[in-house]
Amino acid sequence: MPNRLQQYCLLSLTFLFALVLPIEVFAHGVDDNTRAFLAQNTGIQIIPFLYIGAKHMVTGYDHLLFLVGVLFFLYRGRDVLLYVSMFTLGHSLTLLFGVISDIQVNAYLIDAIIGLSVVYKGFDNLGGFKQLFGKSPNAKLAVLIFGLFHGFGLATKLQEFQLPADGLIANLIAFNIGVELGQFTALAFILLMINFWRKHRSFNLFATSTNCLLMSAGFMLMGFQLTGYFIN
Amino acid sequence: MQQQTIVLTKATLFKYTLFSIIFAAITLLTIILPAEYNIDPTGIGHAMGLTVFNNSEVEKNVTTSSQKMSEKNKGLAETIDIIVPAHSGVEYKFTMQQHKKLSYLWLTNGSALYFDLHGEPEGDTTGYFESYAIATLNRMEGSFTTPFAGVHGWYWKNTSDTPVTVQLTVKGDFSTHGLK
Repeated sequence: MPNRLQQYCLLSLTFLFALVLPIEVFAHGVDDNTRAFLAQNTGIQIIPFLYIGAKHMVTGYDHLLFLVGVLFFLYRGRDVLLYVSMFTLGHSLTLLFGVISDIQVNAYLIDAIIGLSVVYKGFDNLGGFKQLFGKSPNAKLAVLIFGLFHGFGLATKLQEFQLPADGLIANLIAFNIGVELGQFTALAFILLMINFWRKHRSFNLFATSTNCLLMSAGFMLMGFQLTGYFIN
Repeated sequence: MQQQTIVLTKATLFKYTLFSIIFAAITLLTIILPAEYNIDPTGIGHAMGLTVFNNSEVEKNVTTSSQKMSEKNKGLAETIDIIVPAHSGVEYKFTMQQHKKLSYLWLTNGSALYFDLHGEPEGDTTGYFESYAIATLNRMEGSFTTPFAGVHGWYWKNTSDTPVTVQLTVKGDFSTHGLK
């Protein structure tokens, strides 16, 4: 029974994930080892930057929440690819532009906007925009816009380290590709779980409460980041 | 492509939205803010022991253990990384007896910092201090002998937009050290 096999695979994967997650998840912060590396790095370092980019994406819980929201009602491969590309486009533009032209945006505000994106997606999944305004906002455009913000947030964080100009562009591109690799990895796990869940009756039973909690988590992120902004 | 969504009545939608806001607010006020920022309007965070992350008691314990370490390692060089945040100043002091010597070497990760190396007498409440060196440098090596018992060390000021890390290596006769 292939279904049974799938089920076991998924269960063990979920379990593994749950084991690793609590230690490694730290939203958009950069951990101490990475910090030390960034502060001392010189020249072109493709693989390390690739890795930092990927790690940033896989371990950023706010980003993962947004992905859960976006993928909740998306299951056609074509749609998934389209949405991811929109996000990538927005993200890459502002990351490169931000670092190269030395633009710094307050990280707390950016993270609050990312929290808002989670709220938006949860509300949208609940049919909130349709109910109130007759139609949902253009979801692809929304993903693009939040992608742009996300890129600015990263640009700001990377600039804190005064990355040396030597090899900067190559390192940034490596970082950006790493972000995409990480995004695909995270996406694969989330899709696998949601698509599996979608087959069960409980998906429809809990769809409303899941999106309600998602929205709530978004509000928490916003409150957390805005408080950080006001006290710092 | 029209995106699939859940279909709820206006009343239900309102109910769920309200719930998500209230739930978020409660979690923020009782758990997240106390733990992350030591902001505890309800007192529940403290009651659950979540404010320990910002507790000065904990910091004290850490200094005591590092004090024991430094006493054990007397005569050995010790290296400390001090981060001076953007647009602010940091004081790092060593508690020393009179006529004791401290050799030091400090360097930043690039940018020069204004600094004032000085000492404050033990038990003084007037705010008096004596400066041993004032300059703007990114590196300095030397030593000083304390003219009186008290705390002696550096004030670094960072006027740039980015944090600067000072790596300080010291060797000498001090009992405790830390940020002030």
